[in-house]
Amino acid sequence: MSCDEYRGMLDPYLDESLEEEPRRDFRRHLRECASCRQWAVASEPSLFFALAGQGKADPARVEACAEAVTAGIRQARLARRMEGRRRPWLAAAAALVVVVGGGLTWRMTHGGGEALPAPEMEARTEAAARSAPPTVEVDMTGQDVRVYQFATDEDADTAVYFVVNPAMEL
Amino acid sequence: MPKEKLCVLLGGAGNQDGAAMNDRDWVQSAREGDEEAFAQLVRRHSGGLHRAVARILADDAEAWDIVQMAFMRAWQRLDRYDPRYSFATWLYRIGTNLAIDLLRSRGSRERAHKAGTEHRLRLVGKGEGANARVDSLEADGILRQLVEVLTPQQRSAFVLREMEGLETAEVAEVLGCTATTVRNHIFQARKALRQELKRRFPEYLPVSERG
Repeated sequence: MSCDEYRGMLDPYLDESLEEEPRRDFRRHLRECASCRQWAVASEPSLFFALAGQGKADPARVEACAEAVTAGIRQARLARRMEGRRRPWLAAAAALVVVVGGGLTWRMTHGGGEALPAPEMEARTEAAARSAPPTVEVDMTGQDVRVYQFATDEDADTAVYFVVNPAMEL
Repeated sequence: MPKEKLCVLLGGAGNQDGAAMNDRDWVQSAREGDEEAFAQLVRRHSGGLHRAVARILADDAEAWDIVQMAFMRAWQRLDRYDPRYSFATWLYRIGTNLAIDLLRSRGSRERAHKAGTEHRLRLVGKGEGANARVDSLEADGILRQLVEVLTPQQRSAFVLREMEGLETAEVAEVLGCTATTVRNHIFQARKALRQELKRRFPEYLPVSERG
């Protein structure tokens, strides 16, 4: 096709009546022919944008994007795995609440304070009264969950450790 | 039609016929959990998607955020992707929708951003004239100032077809509308850009129209 024929395609290009294939040909010609490109942009300034080049993206930025997306995928996978472990975590937490509640009850009834001993308690031996408090140790191997509870007569407080990550320093 | 159901057959955005086969291979591997295969898709398509989104948003940095979000969403929805169709078009659809959502939420922030860059870009364009060789950076710089007069749909249609070279049918798939609607968006966008060029960048008009 001659330049004149291509120039005759400008109006149908602008009024959107040109089919896809001649549209592609028209655009290709304008990119290749400086004379027709100048004429076309002078005739229709908005073609200034349509004929803009396709700048290449910075390779370093592209690689950074790939790394960020990969990191995001790994994070999402980890979150899903942790989500799957939430149920045993909750079970362990519920068990912990029961144990702590039991321990406090035990302290109320065995460990003194202002609690009144029941009549049968008076019959207990001193050794029995000083028996070790309940100690709970839960080690869910493979689930990354450990629960410890320690309470002794020497300690005024009950110590409870709930470790999700066994590598974590207490 | 479901959002991910695309009707554009192989070839995809940017006419990457040769890459379509490889895309399918990478997608298949990614579906099986291969992160590196998906990273290859990112390396292949992030540049083109970024250029399109940056032109739609008129913001280079925000465009990279959108590109990352688009790939993350694509990863999460890989099971919904139909490999008979172009991965690039599917990806452009995700990215363009994210960009349009962002445009709609921008409000006055965008207008303030544009006002701050106008003077510098005017100097870039001054004296070049309509007959100068069209430069990508120059065109992008001016477009950044003018796209605010376009609706998000007009921007997307104009950028994807007129600047990125997608076909009308592909743009229709990306935007989830008909080819006729795409043509109408582009027609209106061109009209608005012409008026705005005349008002703000008369040096790009033919001498007879500068008034």
